[in-house]
Amino acid sequence: MDRRKFLGAASAVPLTAAMATMAKAQDKKFTIALVPGLTTDAFYITMNKGAQAAADALGVELVFQGAPDFNPVTQVPVLDAVIARAPSAILIAPTDTTQLIEPLRKAHDAGIPVITVDTFIGTGVYQTGAGDADFPLAYIASDNILGGKMAARALAAAIGGAGKVYVSNVKPGISTTDQREAGFKTAMAEEFPDVVVLETQFNDNDANKAASQLQGVFARDADLKGVFGANLFSALGAGNGVQQAGQTGTIKVVAFDAPGSIVDNIKTGLVDVAIAQHPAEIGYFGLVSAFAHLTGNSIPVSIGTGFTIMDASNIDNPDVAKYIYSE
Amino acid sequence: MTSSPEHVAPEADHADKARTVLQRVADLRAWLFLAFLILGFEIWSRVSFGGTFLFNPFNIQSIAVFAVAPLLLATGQTFVIISGGIDLSMGFIMGLAAVVAAHVINWATPGMGLGFAVIFGALVAVLVAAIPGLVNGMLVAFLKVPPFIGTLGMFGVARGVAFLLAGGTTVPVKNEVFAALGNSRLYGVPYIIMVTAVFVVIMHYLLSQTKFGQHNYAIGANAQAARRAGINIKWHLLRLYVLSGMCAGLAGVLYAARFSAGAAQAGEPLLLDSVAAVVIGGASLFGGSGTILGTVAGALVIAVIQYGLVFINVAPFWQFISVGVVIIISVLIDQAQRRFSGGRQSE
Repeated sequence: MDRRKFLGAASAVPLTAAMATMAKAQDKKFTIALVPGLTTDAFYITMNKGAQAAADALGVELVFQGAPDFNPVTQVPVLDAVIARAPSAILIAPTDTTQLIEPLRKAHDAGIPVITVDTFIGTGVYQTGAGDADFPLAYIASDNILGGKMAARALAAAIGGAGKVYVSNVKPGISTTDQREAGFKTAMAEEFPDVVVLETQFNDNDANKAASQLQGVFARDADLKGVFGANLFSALGAGNGVQQAGQTGTIKVVAFDAPGSIVDNIKTGLVDVAIAQHPAEIGYFGLVSAFAHLTGNSIPVSIGTGFTIMDASNIDNPDVAKYIYSE
Repeated sequence: MTSSPEHVAPEADHADKARTVLQRVADLRAWLFLAFLILGFEIWSRVSFGGTFLFNPFNIQSIAVFAVAPLLLATGQTFVIISGGIDLSMGFIMGLAAVVAAHVINWATPGMGLGFAVIFGALVAVLVAAIPGLVNGMLVAFLKVPPFIGTLGMFGVARGVAFLLAGGTTVPVKNEVFAALGNSRLYGVPYIIMVTAVFVVIMHYLLSQTKFGQHNYAIGANAQAARRAGINIKWHLLRLYVLSGMCAGLAGVLYAARFSAGAAQAGEPLLLDSVAAVVIGGASLFGGSGTILGTVAGALVIAVIQYGLVFINVAPFWQFISVGVVIIISVLIDQAQRRFSGGRQSE
């Protein structure tokens, strides 16, 4: 209780001094850390670029530090090191909904504001006083369930609203890809009764395995009409499996995310549709939200960013191409 | 055998012969296990939905294409494991080669034309893959670093360099000839299978018919005896790790050709599969035994299980369990066989 009171008092100080802080914002340079789910992914690299653009505009120093794979075991030590440097605020894509709660609470207890981007802790609903994971100030991300539904609608349209499809997914337990799959299945069940969704195939992020799984499913169900690749390697592999099976154009491929290699596959016809998130937008609004909080302004507790549907007909349009993840 | 020095005792010759017989049985064991698996899938397919598993050429081809990348890694790994070592860096050397091939081919295509750019890019990628192999070899041979630790270090280095070169993402390749190498076929046989088959035959010859191969077994069975017999162990180990690096390099080039993209993490999930393939193929992780033919069977066993389970529509989580159980059973059979034949202690 004592500590909570103390923290409350401590956070009240910057609030009352908000005007002064804002005035001083020009000379006092904030340092904001961005901890991605993994550093080796075009999605997070693009997010970092969006955050950097906001940081440049606001005169904030941005630190980008993360682990090379999407795993709490490797992310937590990086987070600890970031907390030890006492940044003004932390933007983080937590790699697990429960395992990251205690590590992030350390930042909160040290008075460092936490905003989660792309993924979340607890339920993703913050500042409600409920549960032990409500302390982050905001959750900024695309709605992956909605993205999955959009993928389902795109695939259903491509196959004429009837036939067998399945989800090619990474592995169970990742909040975002699980949500995409759930959204996909929900939309198919509710809106497209003539589409049969077969068992999901997990490929451990191995394109080779994803390709082989497509061939295996096709060998059994020769009337397979489409596949939804829930992330880059799932889609890349599924597209290659369709090509190996000589079914390009017959079996439709919908990909989630839009790095350069998926865009190339749209141009060559191996992938029919890509659902692109707006990672730069997530990074930009994450940083702006943190800055707004640091300068004493209130911020929304949740910001949803949009999607862009890419296919061969619009991929060359600059208004669409700007959402291709940067390399 | 002509390379065996004269001062090896006649008893050792007998032991040698007994070992080759055992070795033959061990090879056969992996192939028998493969046949048993295929038979199982065939019966299941016929009983559960009246289809065929084996007599569908599409299945055979899909499995062969699936096995290419793990098999190429496993081929290099076979040499290293027979010598008593292990190469943990192969996965990321493969990724490094895939990224290098993608960049070099993109860079060279405008100047050299489609075909030459592919040859040039593939050569550069395999040569670049030899560099971490060379460092591995120097660490193990000259600085006496245990292979597990030395190659684990190189795993990190190759991973970092590959991601740096790739800018943290996948590098798309724009070259139709390269894409055709990865995905087209001649008389119905995919090019990548032909390339892999030729390469594996060469590696089989290298291991079973040359002095290099004989020395490899000798070092793995008993390094001290091999040294006393006059084998230059350091020089051998150096070449050995360069060879395994280049195997990973070829796997990376074929990956980039197939997916028209160089991905630094291309080989990451394949490393453990490659070690499992070698062990299922009858090699001992303690060194001194193993064959390329056994490894081919081992790689096919893994490919057949993973493909077959999808084909017969086993629910995803049961697939994880089945693959694990089959690997354990396969190695248990191997262990039991070694105990019955008393092969181990004679080495």
